[in-house]
Amino acid sequence: MKKKIIVSRQKKIQKPRIKDFTRNGLEKKIRRQSRELKNKKGLLREGAYREELAEKQILLKTKAIEFSSDAIFIIDAAGSNFPIIYANASFFSLTGYSIKDVIGKSYFLHNGFDVNLSDAESIKQTLLQGKPFHGEIQNTKKNGEKFWSLLRIAPVRDSKGATTHYVGIKTDTTLMKQREFEIYEQREELLHVTRVGKLAEFVSSLAHEISQPLAAILSYAEAVQRLFKGREPQLQEIMQNIINDDHRATEVIRRLRELLKKSKPTFELLNINVLIKDTATLIMPHITSKNKDIHFELDSGLPLIQGDRIQLQQVLLNLISNSLEAMEERPESRDLLIKSFLKDTKTVMIQVKDSGCGIPAENMKKLFSHFFTSKKDGLGMGLSISRSIVEAHGGHLDAENNIDHGATFNFSLPIGTKENV
Amino acid sequence: MPTNIYVVDDDDSVCRALKTLLMTFDFVVKTFNSAQSFFENVPGDAPGCLLLDIHMPGMDGWETQKRILETGSKRPVIFISAEKKDDATQRAQNVGAVGFLQKPVNGQSLVDLINSASNK
Repeated sequence: MKKKIIVSRQKKIQKPRIKDFTRNGLEKKIRRQSRELKNKKGLLREGAYREELAEKQILLKTKAIEFSSDAIFIIDAAGSNFPIIYANASFFSLTGYSIKDVIGKSYFLHNGFDVNLSDAESIKQTLLQGKPFHGEIQNTKKNGEKFWSLLRIAPVRDSKGATTHYVGIKTDTTLMKQREFEIYEQREELLHVTRVGKLAEFVSSLAHEISQPLAAILSYAEAVQRLFKGREPQLQEIMQNIINDDHRATEVIRRLRELLKKSKPTFELLNINVLIKDTATLIMPHITSKNKDIHFELDSGLPLIQGDRIQLQQVLLNLISNSLEAMEERPESRDLLIKSFLKDTKTVMIQVKDSGCGIPAENMKKLFSHFFTSKKDGLGMGLSISRSIVEAHGGHLDAENNIDHGATFNFSLPIGTKENV
Repeated sequence: MPTNIYVVDDDDSVCRALKTLLMTFDFVVKTFNSAQSFFENVPGDAPGCLLLDIHMPGMDGWETQKRILETGSKRPVIFISAEKKDDATQRAQNVGAVGFLQKPVNGQSLVDLINSASNK
């Protein structure tokens, strides 16, 4: 038919005749109708094609979500308390919960299948305000295992802008967190080493600088004594005092040097409770003379720690004598408490708790800095050296004020094993 | 005849004080802040005992003693140092020095050592 029309059309073009007009009109009509039909058919076909395409796309998107390696879930915004209506395979494998545990249940049912209560509340509030939530959260699997995840929940809105659903994506960041933590630990370790090394270096050069003028002072004083030999007894006595004090200062420097020479600690397995008792015995006369009492709460079941006996004793002595001095300023305070306990499977904690005057907030930050002191005749070296020692042992030393009176110094030490002694 | 003493120490104050002290024992004392300046000013055959600091910038005490021995000088040397290394006394003897004293030095023991060195 098509061909015919075209043929006649060609005829018409070639040989136009009046007679043909009516026929031409009919042909036109037919042609128009056929064109319309063809269009309709095309539309129909296209519609069907589009429908098929849309179906394919929905299927693809559904599959993509299902197969995503991130955990994806959908919450019904109309439901009460955020019920989950969909969760993909990764969600189940990540959290360890089953379809039965999850679908139709509130996202926050098992503390949000993961998060603690305050986190859950902040997520709820954010969502109810129509805002997306974004945060890194520590989660717990069904089997109790902890893991870190990056959680994003965004509202899904209808054409009028009302929130109908929430879509959530959870990415497992446990490995990244672990790596981050390892890097942090390495950096901390490096800082400790530098800090300890710097202190030793600094004290050593300080000792040298001080010993030179001390040597000179001694020689001058001896020279004066000789020049006035047999004369001026008062002057002789003063010169002798200068010489004696010079010897005393020299002795301090000499001991400091000895300490630095021994700065490579000799590690051995130690019972920290025995060390605490021994140290307390050393300082006991001092405690009783100041009319103070020392108490112990020592966990007798503690494992051995690894450390240098002398250095750790130095730390304990320093903390105890600081506490005593702080308590001198409050005569009504008498009690000093030393505690030892297991902090976790790898760490022993030692606490020295006094009922003294406490630490002013402005001093808290500088407490462990070299040469910071709040005492009239202090050197500001005790706590900074103590911290260096504890850190060289792989532990931490810090301080906090008690709620009622006084301050508590805490230090941790890693539990010793035969291998790392 | 008074004995000559040469003091080589990078610390001015230590030099001055040793000079003051040794002068009360009637020694003739000359001080130098470096081994270089000592070598430039004192001929190897000039008589006198040398008090030599170990820790000095530039040529240190051990090097200085080595050079004295190399020139064939018989000068008695006493090492002095603020830091006492465990083997310092032994090492001083090994390199032919009269002795080692730790700063701050006691005047009398220093003089005893100088006298024993000079009487050799």
